[in-house]
Amino acid sequence: MPDEHGRRGSALRGAGESGETAFTHAEKVMGTVVSFTVVPGGMPEPAARAAVEAACRVLRRADAVFSTWNPASPVSRLRRGEVTPDKVPAEVSEVLALCLTAREASAGWFDPWALPGGVDPTGLVKGWAVERAAGVLQRAGIDAALVNGGGDLTVFGSPAPGRRWRVGIRHPWRADALACIVQPRAAVATSADYERGAHLLDPATGRPATGVASATVTGPSLALADALATAVAVGADQALRAVGALDGYQGYLIRADGSEEDTGGMEFTS
Amino acid sequence: MTAGRTLRRAPLFVVGSVAGFTGLIAWHAVDAGTPVTAGMGSAGAAGRSRPAATSRAGAGKRHPAHRGTSSRRPRTAHLVRTATGPGVNFGYGTIAVKVTIHGTRITAVSVAGLQTLEPTSQQICAQAIPVLRSEVLSAQSASINSVSGASYTSAGYARSLQAALDTLHA
Repeated sequence: MPDEHGRRGSALRGAGESGETAFTHAEKVMGTVVSFTVVPGGMPEPAARAAVEAACRVLRRADAVFSTWNPASPVSRLRRGEVTPDKVPAEVSEVLALCLTAREASAGWFDPWALPGGVDPTGLVKGWAVERAAGVLQRAGIDAALVNGGGDLTVFGSPAPGRRWRVGIRHPWRADALACIVQPRAAVATSADYERGAHLLDPATGRPATGVASATVTGPSLALADALATAVAVGADQALRAVGALDGYQGYLIRADGSEEDTGGMEFTS
Repeated sequence: MTAGRTLRRAPLFVVGSVAGFTGLIAWHAVDAGTPVTAGMGSAGAAGRSRPAATSRAGAGKRHPAHRGTSSRRPRTAHLVRTATGPGVNFGYGTIAVKVTIHGTRITAVSVAGLQTLEPTSQQICAQAIPVLRSEVLSAQSASINSVSGASYTSAGYARSLQAALDTLHA
C-alpha cells in the first residue's frame, strides 16, 4: 500500500500505513545474501539503519568464527583437531549445545557429528546468526522486521497495524513460483536440494538423502528451525513427526513425488 | 502397489489419466466425507478459492512450464474441512487425493499419496501433479513480504524470488 508521501519502500505490502516507511537492506555475508525488511516504527530512519549495520556486524562475526570454507576460522581449526573446544570463541560452544538440542529434537535426523570431516554445525549456524541479527534490531527498539538469510528467515512485530507477515514457500520445481504462503510468528526455514545439489546426507547411511523435494519448519527459534528443516529434508515423514511433537514448531514437506504433508498447525494462508 | 503390469504408455496419456482420475477421486472423497484433519482457516478476507483440479491439456512436457500448487488451505470464516480419500488404482499406480471443502464446495485438491508401477510413471506424475493444483502463486501476485526456500548462495541470490522482492521494495 502506498503511503501518503509516496516514498520508496511503500511498495511493501502494508508497510507505511503508520506514516513510517519500511526499508530494505541486502547484505552479502556468509556465502549468501541476508535481506532485511525493517519497519522502524517511531525510530528515525538513520537510527534504524545504524541498528541494521550492527546486525550485519553480528553476521560478519558469525561468518568469521564458523566458516568451514575458511581454513583459518576457529571452527575449521576445531574440526581439524588443532584446538580444543575450550580454546575457541564462546559462541562455538553455544552453537554446539544448540546442535545437541537439535539432534535430540529431531530424533537424530539432524546430526552434525555424523558428517564426514568432523563436527559441522553449518546446518544450524546460519539460522542462529540470523536470529541473533534480528535480536539486535529488536533490542534497538525497531518496531518490526523480517530478516531473511538466504531463504531462512525470522520476523518480529507486525508489518503494519493488524497485519501479519506473509512468507511464500518457494515451489521446489519452479524457481519463480510458490508452493504456499505461511504467516509466521517468528522463524521459517526451508531445506531442499534444488539450490545446491545433493548436499543433505542421511546420518544413518552417510549417503545423500532422497525422497523429499522441500522441507519447511516454523517455530520460535530460527537456529532450531533451520536444523529441523534439514532433518525433515533427510528424514521425511519420520522427522516431520518429531517436529510435530515439539512445542511451538510446525513442519511442512513436499515429497519428491509431489505429495505434501504437514504437522497440522502451520498457519497457511492464501 | 501390486496391480497387474501394464504396457508402457505415452507420457501425455498418463498425465491425462492422473488429472482425470483426480477429479473423480476428489468427488468420491467428498462423498465419503471422512475429515482427517480439521483445516484451520485463519482470519483474513482475501480467500481466492476456486474450483479444484483444472488440468491443463498438453501439460506433460519434460519440464513443466506451469506454476502451481497449493490452494489447499483456503481462508474463510466458514467451516473448512479437509479429507483424504483412500488410495485408488488408476491403471498405472495408486493415487490418494486430499481435498479441502469450504461449505459445500471443493476449494483445493492435493495429492496425499502416489505410488506408481514404474519409475517413468513416477517421474511423469511428479511433473503432472503441480498441474492438478488450480492456484497460481507467484511473487508478483501473492503480496508476500519474503520468500523461504532452500539456501541460496550469493550467486544464486540473483536468480531468487527474494532478490525480486528486494528490488521491488527497496
